[in-house]
Amino acid sequence: MSIKKIAPSLVAAAVATVVLTACQAQETKMGSAAAGKSMAAKTAQSGPPPLAPLGPPPIPPDNKQTPAKIELGKILFFDPRLGGDASTGCSTCHEPDQGWAWAEDFSRGYPGTVHWRNSQTIINSAYYSRLFWAGSVPSLEKQAKSAAKGGVAGNGEDDIMESRLALIPGYRKRFKDVFGSEWPLIGDAWRAISAFERTLVQRDTPLDKYLLGDKSALTEQQVKGMALFNGKAGCIQCHNGEMATDQDYYNIGVPPNKRWEEDGLAQVTFRFELYAKGMTEEGYRTTKADPGFYFRGKNKWDKGKFRTPSLRYTTYTAPYMHNGVFYTMEEVVDFYNRGGFDEEGRTTGYPENKSKLIKPLGLTDEEKEDLLAFLEAFSGEEIMMEKPAMPEYAPLFTKAELEAAQEAK
Amino acid sequence: MVVRVSTGRALLAATLGVGLAVTAQAASYPDIGPLPQLKIDKAKAELGKRLFFDVRLSGDAAISCADCHVPEKAYASKEALSPGYPGNGHFRNASSLVNTAHKNIWNWDGRIGTNLNDMTREMITEDYIMNMDMRIMQERLKQDPLYVKMFKDAGYGEPSNGSVRKAIPEFLKTLTSTGSPFDTGTMSASAKRGMKLFKGKAGCIQCHNGPLLTDLKPHNTGVPENFDVFLDPMNHQAFMAFAMFQGIPNYRNMKRDPGYFNVTLEKKDMGKFITPSLRELKYSAPYMHNGMIKTLPDVVEFYNNGGGKDSNKSKKLKPLGLSASQKKDLVAFLESLSGKPLTGSKYVWDQPYPGEYPVIENWTQVRN
Repeated sequence: MSIKKIAPSLVAAAVATVVLTACQAQETKMGSAAAGKSMAAKTAQSGPPPLAPLGPPPIPPDNKQTPAKIELGKILFFDPRLGGDASTGCSTCHEPDQGWAWAEDFSRGYPGTVHWRNSQTIINSAYYSRLFWAGSVPSLEKQAKSAAKGGVAGNGEDDIMESRLALIPGYRKRFKDVFGSEWPLIGDAWRAISAFERTLVQRDTPLDKYLLGDKSALTEQQVKGMALFNGKAGCIQCHNGEMATDQDYYNIGVPPNKRWEEDGLAQVTFRFELYAKGMTEEGYRTTKADPGFYFRGKNKWDKGKFRTPSLRYTTYTAPYMHNGVFYTMEEVVDFYNRGGFDEEGRTTGYPENKSKLIKPLGLTDEEKEDLLAFLEAFSGEEIMMEKPAMPEYAPLFTKAELEAAQEAK
Repeated sequence: MVVRVSTGRALLAATLGVGLAVTAQAASYPDIGPLPQLKIDKAKAELGKRLFFDVRLSGDAAISCADCHVPEKAYASKEALSPGYPGNGHFRNASSLVNTAHKNIWNWDGRIGTNLNDMTREMITEDYIMNMDMRIMQERLKQDPLYVKMFKDAGYGEPSNGSVRKAIPEFLKTLTSTGSPFDTGTMSASAKRGMKLFKGKAGCIQCHNGPLLTDLKPHNTGVPENFDVFLDPMNHQAFMAFAMFQGIPNYRNMKRDPGYFNVTLEKKDMGKFITPSLRELKYSAPYMHNGMIKTLPDVVEFYNNGGGKDSNKSKKLKPLGLSASQKKDLVAFLESLSGKPLTGSKYVWDQPYPGEYPVIENWTQVRN
């Protein structure tokens, strides 16, 4: 699939979602693309879609939600055996008490490695039409698989992970109940995990309540912040709609993480990613900043672009940006206020691709405070969860069965 | 990743071998004798040595080649079953690597028939063995200044996974038997009597022939299954992952090691394993593909009884009728095939590895 083909449909999908939600329609993002396009054309003239209350998450028709599937997915999400050396599962880098993410700039990565991007929260991930910072996969199902298998993530392979499931009687029973298969299949593990993740949504934030008519849900300061968000600060240009993201790709000027200059292990991973994701020889030798969306289509104008992240649940998901360079939301606001520069004046490694939307904002200290107060309204209560008990391995055969097989040889 | 190798020629040879066994004399087998000398590139072998003992060649940087191929055990595994990668076990005994460079087929099931370069890749990347993405491995090596120097000095240029697959085989060439009484002509009288039995009444020479004392061909000798493979889910998962990846039918219900069947998927090859070399047995106990036989007297007893129970067992195996003293002589001969232990700093990398990856200074200005 070419990226050029994807981009317009992404915009259409994002806009369609907003319109449909506003109409209280039952359709999801999976709904009619044609209807979306005609409405998109209408809305395009009136600027970005407004922030909107979050509707129910889209459920793909080929992976319906059932309580048993969700329960299975929950156990699998927390099971480190879905990874190379049985130490690294989904929750290893998406810890509930770290915002369902990992509270360091780079995700922790597989033992012996470190990742090169920030772990994103699972909360509301159900609404994204593409996952990962460069949008490299089109579904949660494919995200789970990629993360479990990536060399600096789960580093697992299908055959060993599926074999582990086969040797856990609790899973054999649950997979059979949910998917009807005699043996657990690894593809079904990703389906179950995705079903669980589609329950991890937050739709009752102060902002949602406010947008649904409860004017007391935001403070006066937050209302002022919202006006800045929609106006002078220009956040709404990309952070719009129900998820406060247009799900498009931009280079906003985030500087490379300094760990690449200071940490040998991070340097190993950096080069590995260039190598693994496909670079020209010269590109491999000279690249010193994450090319991001470039990897999707290998167009040089896409270097340094990343998908607009949702602003929901961000109270709990620091640090911020694709490489976690900002540890507080204050730093983020200051970064935008400077027009995409950090406090040392550093910016993207690909300044030629920096979005024209990013300009110095001229916010006063008070305005920054107001904006920060409003950003808090994108998060509700922290979503905590006890880790479920893990079903145990057990031998598949009895000694008597093995002896009989030996006798029959 | 595994390639099912074509061993048509080897198969043909095996078939001929069976035919010959009926009519031919022992003398028609390639004679046992000293191994040929291998030319070794010192710098490449030294690099291979450092790589062989380096845990950074495994996915989670927890194990090296030497965790399963233990120098004191003639580079075979300590226990009946190899430990495998963390998070799983294994389902076979790691073969001795001594003299492995003299072979032309590798693994107990003979699934690699090309070269040690491919075998090295198989061991490093297979998920239940070292589970290494070799692209990460390459970048780890480039982060270690001593490797950068050693690869350059060895003529390989910058560290690359391709050169790792050349350097480790070069090191393995240094693991060649040396100084065994058999090779130096210092066998005891008992061992000499044992050699006669070996070539004659005991019939060992039918399969254990040539300088390596193996025909490097698959045979079913009826070795009993090691139930620990199937009763321990850690080992069983490694077996299942292996069998799934190899495309073995009905692998989840399998209660035996299919052996060479894995290569051909033909029933006649069920339970066959490549004849192991008999060199360095003094160090490499326990024996057989699954470590089921603990001592050399037990091995001799096993063959004296005509091998184990299997409907597909080789017709070459029959009860031998060896006397107690003949069995002792045979064991003495087998022991005379072991040389000096290949341990110590000539063979083992005994300098410390860096605890972390040193940073490349001035990173934004230098080429990757």
